[in-house]
Amino acid sequence: MRALKTHGLAGMALAIALVAPHAVGPYGHYILAMVLVYALVCMSMNVLMGMGGQISIGHAAFWAIGAYTSAVLVSKLGAPLLVGVLAGGVLALLAGLLVALPALRVQGHYLAIATLGFALVVHQILYEWDAVTGGRSGMLVPRPDVWGIDLSSDLSYYHLVLAVCVLAAWLTHNFRQSMDGLGLMALRMSPTAGQVMGIGRARSLFMAFGISAFLTGLSGALFGHLIGQLSTDSFTLTVSLSFMTAAVVGGMNSVAGAILGGLFLALAPELLRSLKDAQNIVYGLILIGFMHFLPGGIASLPQRLGELWRHLRERRASGDETAAVPRQKGGTA
Amino acid sequence: MVISLIVAGLALGSIYALLGLSLVLVNKATDVVNFAQGEIGMIGAFTGMTVLAASGWPLPLVFVVGMLSGALLGLFLERVVIRPLGAAPHLNLLIVTVGLWFIFNSVAGLIWGYDPYRFPSLLPAEPLDILGAKVPPSSLGIVAVACVSMALLYLFFEHTRDGIAMRAASNNPRAARLMGIRVERVAAISWAVACGLSVTSSMLIAPVTFLDQQMMVPVILKAFAGAILGGFTSLPGTVVGCVLLGLAETFVGAYLSAALKDALAFTLIILVLMVKPAGLFGRSIRKKV
Repeated sequence: MRALKTHGLAGMALAIALVAPHAVGPYGHYILAMVLVYALVCMSMNVLMGMGGQISIGHAAFWAIGAYTSAVLVSKLGAPLLVGVLAGGVLALLAGLLVALPALRVQGHYLAIATLGFALVVHQILYEWDAVTGGRSGMLVPRPDVWGIDLSSDLSYYHLVLAVCVLAAWLTHNFRQSMDGLGLMALRMSPTAGQVMGIGRARSLFMAFGISAFLTGLSGALFGHLIGQLSTDSFTLTVSLSFMTAAVVGGMNSVAGAILGGLFLALAPELLRSLKDAQNIVYGLILIGFMHFLPGGIASLPQRLGELWRHLRERRASGDETAAVPRQKGGTA
Repeated sequence: MVISLIVAGLALGSIYALLGLSLVLVNKATDVVNFAQGEIGMIGAFTGMTVLAASGWPLPLVFVVGMLSGALLGLFLERVVIRPLGAAPHLNLLIVTVGLWFIFNSVAGLIWGYDPYRFPSLLPAEPLDILGAKVPPSSLGIVAVACVSMALLYLFFEHTRDGIAMRAASNNPRAARLMGIRVERVAAISWAVACGLSVTSSMLIAPVTFLDQQMMVPVILKAFAGAILGGFTSLPGTVVGCVLLGLAETFVGAYLSAALKDALAFTLIILVLMVKPAGLFGRSIRKKV
């Protein structure tokens, strides 16, 4: 029954994704592709934060590695687009494992700090290594054909991103239900209990970080070919933090949450444009507000409303007017 | 050459140490790794600058005003933002501090703009000749302020009721509560003290890096690195770790390359975690089940 519901929802989402481009113009196609690019990042955040309970404030670095790898391979070495994108993901994965390796040996939030440092270093390297990356002025990224299909319009490119997104959603959804995924979530709830049950902490977190970096790398690569030019300004600390905001807003425990996060990240700048520099204040308030009142993100809203509704009914039934509304219990869930 | 490098390294290390101390204090008291710590310091430094420009008070007094404004901000944050989250998972608290980072970073930009400001140094920067080495008094001033702050902190922890309560609460919150220590009060004081220290750190580095909205981003990374080197749980360890990092950075910058200087902190984090995960002075935590 539950599987049926999941499949139904997934089918519906896919149908909407296929129909949506026909309701909007060319700029809409670009935005929709952006939504999916960001949804990929949010999926990667889901694995790391939602399942692993680990935080990265340097995911822009993996995004950058994916973007520049693919851009350099395709533009300078003439590699096919898909090879470039995949290579971007793989290189981000390797970098991710390198960062996670030491940090995972200890408890606590060292991983977060290590990712912050890593992101600052990567940003500096991109800036200094201008023979390859074009430094501050940036580089142009071509968008070649794939199997003879012309991708120069944002509409056709959108379909490519959608295909990658569907694969990634399938991957993360299955990972969530695999033994490794369940083990990872058990470790988040209680590291000690999990380890006593025979779940290897380092191995599980390593895997989570690897998958997360890989998906972010893919997303970065797709992003580069989407906007057609890269500059180091697209990979700052603020970008890393906005990834986290999107994951929190959408919800970190489902593919649906990731898609909502992608929608948020792509649309928020459009909606908040009039606020200019004050945009970041809104992001900050959103982060804090969600953690206080809806830690499960928008994806958890139906469930949360259900809880409140049941509670109201019970209160009315028992005639107790003083019972407090329950705060949502712990968990990033 | 070597003496002036040592002095410069000590000055830089003291600045990192003050911020590192505030990170560890907050972490010990409320189990939060506060990523907004540097930005809180920056807000305090900007406040100090505004007070200085408006009133023309002497600089030491401005330092005190800045620290107090930081402490008030810390009290406010603990009470309004952190405490209501209660027993939420660490991840949620961490995300909240990242939210604070966003807010303070852009509030500073909105109020004071994005151009760097000059901030006066306590002592002049023209180097003096000491034992044949050129030593700027400003560096000595930084070290002196840091030493005084640390000495006050030490006296506070050893000789005041609140300080002893803080040590007890960080050692064993439950036992402390049973002994009648108000753990909430301890948390509030820790935030206040920590934020005061971060403001001091920012006002000390402001004359060197100029005062701008992004100034604390690299500094907090270094403070993290130094604190990790010192074990992240021990206050003296943090100071030693941060000072070592300041010295190492200065020497690497002088003898190897200036570009390597910033990568050093990151490399150090990775190396320490690999070789000695508990840091130089940290105790590894054994958990009873």
